This record gives sequence, structure tokens and C-alpha cells, in this order.
Amino acid sequence: MKELWRRIQWIFHRAEFDRELEDEMRDHLERKAEETGDAQKAHRDFGNITLLKEKSRGMWTWTFMEQLAKDARYAFRTMTANKLFTALAIVSLALGIGANAAIYSFLDAILLRALPVKHPEQLAIFYWRSGTKDEPGVVHDHSGSAHLDDTGVLVSPDYPYRAYEFLRENNQVFSSLFSYANAGQLNLIIDGQAELKEGQYVSGNYFSGLGLAPAAGRFISPEDDNAGAAPIVDISYSFWQRRFGGRLNALDKTILINGKPFTIAGVSPPEFFGLRPQSAPAFFLPVRFAASVVLNPYMDEKKLFASEHAYWIEMAGRLRPGVTLARAQAELSARFQQWVSSTGSTEQERKTLPKLWLQKGRSGMDALRREYSKPLYTLMIMVVLILAIACANLANLLLARGAARRSEMAVRLSLGAGRLRISRQLLTESGLLSLVGGVLGILVAAAGIRSLTLLLANGEPNFTLHAELDWRVLGFTLAVTLAAGFLFGIAPAIQATKLDLTPSLKEARAGSAITKRRRIGAMHVLVIGQIAISLVLVTAAGLFVRTLVNLYSVNVGFNRDKLLVFSLDAWKAGYSDQARINFYAELRRRFALLPGVVNATLSGMPLLADWTSRTDVIIPGAHNSEDKPLSTARIRVGPAFFETLQIPIRAGRAFDERDTAGAPKRAVVNEIFVKDYLAGLSPIGRHFTLGSKETATDLEIIGIAGNSRYSSLKRDISPLVYTSCLQAVQNRTLQEAYFELRTAGNPLALANTVRRVVHDLGPRVPIADITTESKIIDGTIAHERTFADLCGCFGALALLMACVGLYATQAYAVARRTNEIGIRMALGAERGRVLWMVLREVLMLSGIGVLIGLVIVWQTTTVLRSFLFGLKPHDPATLVIAAGILIICAVLAAYAPARRASRIDPMVALRYE
Amino acid sequence: MEAASDIPPGTLYLLVLKTLARLGAMHGYGIAQYIQQTSGDVLQVEEGSLYPALQRMLIKGWVIAEWRQSENNRRARYYTLTPKGRKQMARELHKFQRGTAAITRVVEA
Repeated sequence: MKELWRRIQWIFHRAEFDRELEDEMRDHLERKAEETGDAQKAHRDFGNITLLKEKSRGMWTWTFMEQLAKDARYAFRTMTANKLFTALAIVSLALGIGANAAIYSFLDAILLRALPVKHPEQLAIFYWRSGTKDEPGVVHDHSGSAHLDDTGVLVSPDYPYRAYEFLRENNQVFSSLFSYANAGQLNLIIDGQAELKEGQYVSGNYFSGLGLAPAAGRFISPEDDNAGAAPIVDISYSFWQRRFGGRLNALDKTILINGKPFTIAGVSPPEFFGLRPQSAPAFFLPVRFAASVVLNPYMDEKKLFASEHAYWIEMAGRLRPGVTLARAQAELSARFQQWVSSTGSTEQERKTLPKLWLQKGRSGMDALRREYSKPLYTLMIMVVLILAIACANLANLLLARGAARRSEMAVRLSLGAGRLRISRQLLTESGLLSLVGGVLGILVAAAGIRSLTLLLANGEPNFTLHAELDWRVLGFTLAVTLAAGFLFGIAPAIQATKLDLTPSLKEARAGSAITKRRRIGAMHVLVIGQIAISLVLVTAAGLFVRTLVNLYSVNVGFNRDKLLVFSLDAWKAGYSDQARINFYAELRRRFALLPGVVNATLSGMPLLADWTSRTDVIIPGAHNSEDKPLSTARIRVGPAFFETLQIPIRAGRAFDERDTAGAPKRAVVNEIFVKDYLAGLSPIGRHFTLGSKETATDLEIIGIAGNSRYSSLKRDISPLVYTSCLQAVQNRTLQEAYFELRTAGNPLALANTVRRVVHDLGPRVPIADITTESKIIDGTIAHERTFADLCGCFGALALLMACVGLYATQAYAVARRTNEIGIRMALGAERGRVLWMVLREVLMLSGIGVLIGLVIVWQTTTVLRSFLFGLKPHDPATLVIAAGILIICAVLAAYAPARRASRIDPMVALRYE
Repeated sequence: MEAASDIPPGTLYLLVLKTLARLGAMHGYGIAQYIQQTSGDVLQVEEGSLYPALQRMLIKGWVIAEWRQSENNRRARYYTLTPKGRKQMARELHKFQRGTAAITRVVEA
């Protein structure tokens, strides 16, 4: 070992070594010349100095490199001599390594990579936590995002602008505190050409706070973020490249954003995509222009910048050097507490104040991580298990080969070959195998990343997750490859060289039972391990597939087939309330008349698209008070909605031509609403109040609709109120409309007809996302489908590899026992008995493997609970089926070797060598 | 004078090790000189085999080398025996003695 170390050192100090050698020889010559007085003779005696130097240097390198090359050549020869087995080992390794690299690249992109900004570790992102699952009372308007964390508490990154100003001015822990907000899709008009692009509002200190330098031009500065400032915009690098070809004359160009002129001032750096890893804004606007650009009627200038109850702006800050996140959290939460408690006006509001919560900002916002971290870690574990199975196959291959080469090893050892030397040669073989596997694995990974991106994006056009095969992933792959080759090569190598020479040399004839048993024992352990792991993976696959089946068989309460869905926003095209309603109504009428359309309707939101709109209701006579209002889901629907969706009306009537804008406001409720809120009351004709305070609307119930799923397949059906979208409810008129067309044939075939109809009636109104209801529903269960697909593949792969391992082991065992089986048969054993003898062993092995696997499953599948729907992690049917599949596959894999054993001709077998 | 004879195969290591054991630290030229003189000018150490052998012994860890100031103020690389080298010397010596004893028996039989 030390010798190797000295050699390695030599490689790094080669120049020094040469110099020293030269000095040494010169010294030698001088001495010699002095002594003999004849420099020429000294030189002659010394001989060829260069050659001598070569020779001395050769001492260090020659053997080492030469041996390595020899080993590699030899390994290559043995590999090609055993083609089938080598191919199986390499393919399983390539699949295992490739799957690992692919999943790792996503893990890296989503969970590990830092933002491309200066000192990302100094960044902190602001969130607040409500004490409960509900929004705090002080939040009157909320535009942005919120989610429930693991403990069921509502978490959101959105703050009032006033709070931002207050915290920015009153803290000692941040060197810079900046803010930003999602602008959503805005209408960009460049040189008269319109397109929808995602934008982001950023405060004047946003780019300086992140420590970014513009790729061109200049960034938005604090001076640009003032009410009176000239409107400028920074565009993203990719948008600059795509739309302007990266030309500098894009700067100072004036473009229209939602009809307002903005001058392009600069370009953000190419690798920067904002603080959300999943979004890629095409442009950045100063926060001050939020009110004038986005025509959000419910958030005017005053509300955005002066209200203490409008929560919409997100914040992040750069910690001063030496300030820890904990200290910043302590100081700022106290500050925010002080500010927010002054905004609470009622007892209820003061009781439920949001609490400031700082999070590390190194990798940006955590929405993607939250969504994907658990699935990705689960997948990572699965692919590691698959790699383990692949490695077990490799080890099995090497063990079997080692056994076949016992005599060879014994001869070499007895002729004086070093144990280390032979181990090194065997390790070269396993290393070469895994290296080839690794190279192929990179190809598998590249394909895997591509298809996984498609799978995860699930048709979303704005999916911007950039997983790629970068040096990190390649490094990871290399590490995995070498580890696999070394770990699973070392044991067989040790075993191969730990020979008792004499019996091994003799073994060729007699067969020494004990050592052979031990070797087969090692192979059996590997096979049992493979079967246990396969059972875990097959069970997981089974659970996910059954989850998917359960989701598909959920009764949604309406007919989801042949339903074309698309959205229009006439409001963004400038239609006033009444004009919009008339426009939508006329469009619906025209759609209904189209050939191939059975029925047409519209609604305020798509069904089963994970959208929800909830409001308080007050029902006179029911058990509720104004303190603790009941809450209901709600949806605005157009004429013929129940007919088109085929939701049955259980009592009363659906909306019809009587329910116009001027008519009394009416509602249809679902059966659960009646059951939960109107127990014992007669529903039809009853009045109730939707919403609270100034927007409260009185509604009369005119009908009861059958229960149907509203936002998600997984959520239980909750009380639901339908209102007519022709009527303004809670002072709001329908803004964006979702049209649903029941078609006779393939819904998407009507897409162009629908576009033409819309264009004829309202050429300025763009039509978005023409899709079908089935596709919308599929979109909401994309994770489950991805999981079912991937785990199905993984399970099948694991099963296949385990079968290969089992087949190989049994084939090897049968070959080794040819002699013994021949004797048994010569002594009268029947073919059936021999067959059974082999199969019995397989059954035992797979039985043990399945039992171990079941124990593991029992211990681990509970972590999958959150991915499952309609079944428990210990679903007995799935477990039984998985175990059955494994045992059947095991028997099938072993059948060929078993049959071969039973066909052995005793006469041939006894002579078999 | 009788012509100088070559060093018997396989004994160069032994000779170098033994020389270093006797002299302590010595440079390559000194080693060659010592062997030549001690053998009464019978054994002629070829530089062509001495230096590769010294390198080999460095790799094996039998000797270590360091640069020192020599007698007449010249820098030279001095080789010293390591404990491992001492053990190796014993092994080589044993091998050599067995070999010569065997040869003697055959020759004098």
C-alpha cells in the first residue's frame, strides 16, 4: 500500500525527480573523473546517461502501468468470452446507474442547487404562519399563494406593502431587504405583435440586493420604483435572445405592457430566473407600477400601497455578515408582531395574528421543493435499490466466474502470484464492467431526464425546471459507478484468492463440497436480498397503480367524457361588465348551435382543476351565528350548465331564462349543502346570505343538484352553492369565463371552429388553453400518474433483474452439480424428483426473500401514505399479489435450469468435467 | 590483474544493502567504490544497473535518500537503510547463503 502511495507521489513530483537524478549522476561522474583523472573514460564507463535515466524512471512506472493495461486486456477477453452474462450485468448496471443519475439530476436541480446570485447563503425569505388552517383575520385581501404545512397551519409569503416599508426601515439585521410579486401573464405588444408573457414586479433594490449584474443595459433602481418615475422594464436574457436576437438595440425600445408604454432598460443575467425555481419571468417591472399595469379591479393603487390588510407582496433580504437566521428571525418577528397587532381592529383579528417566519433563501422559494422533495427522495431510494439489485447481479457474476476459475487461481497462486496482484486483476474486471455500465448509464440518464421532464411537466407550457447532465451529475454517476465496481468486486476478489491450494488443485476432479457450499451460500444471500428488494419495489408499484385506479374510478358526479373546455377573458380585452355578460351569453348561444356540439355552457372556473372559491354563508334558521359563519364552496355557472355537465337536479329547477341580470338573485345548492346546513328545513324557496359585510348577497334557493366533485378527486364533496353567472353576486360580475361544450365526437376536433366563432364575435379576445375535461382531471393527478408510471417501470425492472440473478445462480448451481445429479439419476432418481429438487431450492430462496421483503414493506410503506388514495399502505391485496408475482417469476426464472438438470444424461454427467 | 568480474545475478541488492549497513549513509558513487574495493576489485558495479537498483529499493521502502553536503563541500544524494531494508537484507543474505551452499555442494560433490 505504501508502495502505491510512493508511486502516486512520484507521479506528482516527476520534474523534481528527474532533476535530482540528473544531479546525482553528474556528481557521480565528477567524482569518478577526479579520482581517475580521466573525464572521458568516466563518461565511457558510465555509458548512455539518457538510457540510464530512462531505466531508473522506468523502475517507478513500468510495472504498474503495464500491469494495469495487461489486467484490462485480460478482463476484456474474459468479458467477451462470457457474452450473455456480461451483457446482462452491463445492461442492468447501465439501467441502475442511469436511473440514479437521472433522478439525482432532478434532486440537484430542485433541492440542492443554489440561486445564481452573490452569496446565496446570506439570503432569507419571508413567510408568515397563521395559528390555524385559516387565514388570519387581519388579512382582508390576499393575492398570492398559501399552503398548509405538515402541521396543518396556513403558511404564505405575501405581506402588505406597508409591512414591507416598515420592516425595511426598522431592522438592523439585513443589509438589504427587497420585495417582489408575481405579475402573472401580461399582454406584451412589441412592434405591433401581441403575446402573453409571465412578468414579475420587483422593488428598486431587488437586483442590487441579490448582487446581480445586468447582462446588458441597467437594472431597475430605487429611483425607478417611484410613483412619478418614467416607466422602465428589464427583460430576461432568454426573452432578449428569443424576441430580439440578443441585439443591443432592444435597449431603449418602448413596448406596451397591458396597453401601457415601458422602455426596456436592461437585461437580466442568463442563469437567473427569479427566486422561484419553477418560474421564468420574461420581464421585470418596478413594484410601483403594479396598480397601473394589472387591471385588478379589486386591488387599486390605494389598496396595494396604503392598505394594512391587503397581503400581496413577497419579501427577501440579505443578512448582514455575521448575523444568523435565528437572530434575524428573533428581531424581525418582534418587529412584525408590533406592526401587525396595531392593524387588528376586532377581538377576533387580534387573536389570530400572522407570525413572521424566516426561511433560508439559498435555493430560492420552496414551492417546488415542497411539491417534489418527498416524491423525489422516494424515487431516489427506489433507484438506489434498483442499483443494489444490479450490483448484486454483478457480484453474482463475479462469484460464479471466480468459482469457475478456481483451478486457474490455484495454479497462479502456487506459482507465486501475489494475492494482491490477483485481487487487483479481479477488481480491474469488475471496474471495467461497471465503467462500461456507467458510460451506457449516462446515455440512459440523458434519455431518462428527457422523459422525466416531460412526465413532470405534464403538458404545462411554462414548466421551466432545468435538470441537466452537468458536471455534478456526471461526478455523481462516476462516484456511483466506481463504488459499485469496487464494493461488489472486492468480496468476490477476496473469496477468489482465499484458496486452500491443495484441495483446489485437486478439486477439478473430486469437488470439495465445503468451499463450494460457502460460495453458493454467498450467492444465495445475494439472491434473497434481490428478491426482498424486488418485493418492496413491486409492492410500491402496486400501491401506486391501485391508487391511480382508485382515482380513475372516483364517481365525479357528472359526465367527464367528450367535454371541450377553454377559457376567455373579455375583461382583459376591455369589455365592461354588461358588455362582457352579453358577449359570453351570445358566444354560448353560437357554440350550442355548432354542428357536433350537443350542449354548451360556461362557468367561472374549471371543474376538478384544483381550483376553489370559498365564501361564508349565513342561513337564517340554521344553527349558526355571525361570529362563527358556515362556509361553502361556490361556482358561477351559465345557462344549461347542469344539462351540459349532466348533473341531475334532485328538486326544484336549474337556472333558466328567468334568471337574468335584473331578476332576483337565486342559487342552486348541492345535496350535501342541504344535508349539512339545512337539516330539517325545507330548502326550496329559502333565503340565505352569501359572503359577509359590504359584499353580502341575499340568495333564494331554487333547486337542489346532485352531488358532484368540485375541485379535486381526492377531496370529499363539500357544500356547494351555484349562482348564475349572468347575475352579479357579491358585487362582482363574471370576469374570466370557462366554456364547456358537450360534443358528439372527439372534442378537440372542434378547436378551430371554436377559435373562429370567438374571433368573429370578439377579435380582440384571446382564447386560452383549449383542452378537455378529462385532460384537466388528468392534470390534477399528474403526480399519481407519474408515480404509477415510474414505479411500474422500476418494479418491473427490479423483478427482471432479480429473475436474471436467480436464473444465473440456479444455472450455475446446476452446472456445478451435474456430477452429483448424474449420480442420483444413475442410482434411480426420477426426472420429476430432480426437477423438484432444484425448484424446491428456488421456492425456499424466494420464500425467505419474500418474508424479509414483507417485513421491510411493513416497516417502510407508511411513508408513502400521503401519495396513496383509497387504500392503506399495508393494503393486503397488494401485498399478496406482489408476493405471488415474485414467487411465480422466481419459479419461471429457475424453470429452465431445473429442466436442464432433469434432462441430464447420467452417462454424460458422470464423465462431465 | 585479473579482469573484473560481473556481479552474480540477484546479489546486487544484497551487496548494496550490506554496504549501506556497514557504511551508514552513502552516495551512489561511494557504494560502487566500496563494493569494488572490498571485493578486491573483483566485483565491478555497473552504474547502469546501480541506479535503477537504487530506485527500485526506494520504491520498496528499503532505503531512503536525502541530499547532504559531502566531504569536499559537494552536494550528493545519500542513501540510508530503513528497518524494512534491514529485514530485507537478512532475507537476501539467507537466500544467498542457501544458494551458495547448494552450489558448493553440487560443485564439490
